[in-house]
Amino acid sequence: MNTDQLIKHSRARFDHAAARRVTKEKYEARMLFAHAGGMWRAGPELQMTLLTCPDSEAVILDLYENPIRINIQELLVLSQQRWQEQMNAWLVEHQQLNQQR
Amino acid sequence: MTRGALIFAFNNEVTDYVAMAQWSAQNIRRHLDIPVAVVTDDPMAQGFDHVTYLYPEGNNSRHFSDYDATVTWHNESRASVYDLTPWDHTLLLDADYVVASSQLKSLFDIDQDFLAHRWANDITGVNDFHGLNYFGRDRMPQWWATVISFRKSDHARLIFETMEMIRDNWRHYRELYNISSATYRNDHALSIAINTVSGHVSNHPGILWPLSSLTPEHKLERTAQDSYRITFNNGENQRRHINVVGQDFHAMGKKHLEAIVASAG
Repeated sequence: MNTDQLIKHSRARFDHAAARRVTKEKYEARMLFAHAGGMWRAGPELQMTLLTCPDSEAVILDLYENPIRINIQELLVLSQQRWQEQMNAWLVEHQQLNQQR
Repeated sequence: MTRGALIFAFNNEVTDYVAMAQWSAQNIRRHLDIPVAVVTDDPMAQGFDHVTYLYPEGNNSRHFSDYDATVTWHNESRASVYDLTPWDHTLLLDADYVVASSQLKSLFDIDQDFLAHRWANDITGVNDFHGLNYFGRDRMPQWWATVISFRKSDHARLIFETMEMIRDNWRHYRELYNISSATYRNDHALSIAINTVSGHVSNHPGILWPLSSLTPEHKLERTAQDSYRITFNNGENQRRHINVVGQDFHAMGKKHLEAIVASAG
């Protein structure tokens, strides 16, 4: 890399909007997890669905719209853990992005 | 049930796909904890858990803008992957797919016989991939052959047998689907195969997150393990960069990835 290229390269400013979009996409993907042969998205929607189930077991549709028999408590804990882990990681990365120039 | 990744790696005049696959194998083992097989014609190929030697089928050529050259493209063996894989559950990856997270692990734990990406996007957001997510004059939905998860099953076998039929009769299918480019592409064959096997109804399940892609005109550098800096010109032609950390992506330009692989070796 010659001097001109180095100067041009160093002048490439950080693109906050693109970085935020990429980070969002990454953490949205990380909310997806497999359990009991089904694919689930950790978050309030799944957790609210699970909280409406009166028994310890239920059959609900996964993201591929397959009916899956699940243990409600098991899936609820997995969903809550993943959701909070990834949201915390997202927050840390978001704060780092905001400091970047 | 055995599980593992599989990469096709046939070198051409400009790209050392075997070196790329070796580097990718290390990333795959580190993140996904699975063995890696390679299908290659290189008798010196090392660093894999299983090697299948194969003389490459087809001598297509394709223009790669990052090399500004039209080079040989050995891409026709991929349709025969069902018989070539040593695994019961295979994660078929392009040599230029960068594994930087454990995201793909979940595909081994769901009850699906065949999954691929239906949607790809430009990681920088500069290029609109809408045109690339469809193909042919009639805008058929495109499935991406970059990442495919499949289990030994009637459904997966049928898709790959259909791909082989399309490959072997490419001229006919190219005309049928009004594809302008004469070069056989696995993405097109896969798309036609899925469409056919699904009864021409677009309801086949796909991988639920988009295929993040980096087009050849953007610059890719590795800054640390699983960290990459991407430099690009935005819509106003201003130089910008982003950092991609712990996220898988498809490096469509081979030149920058080759430099990263060479520096790692």
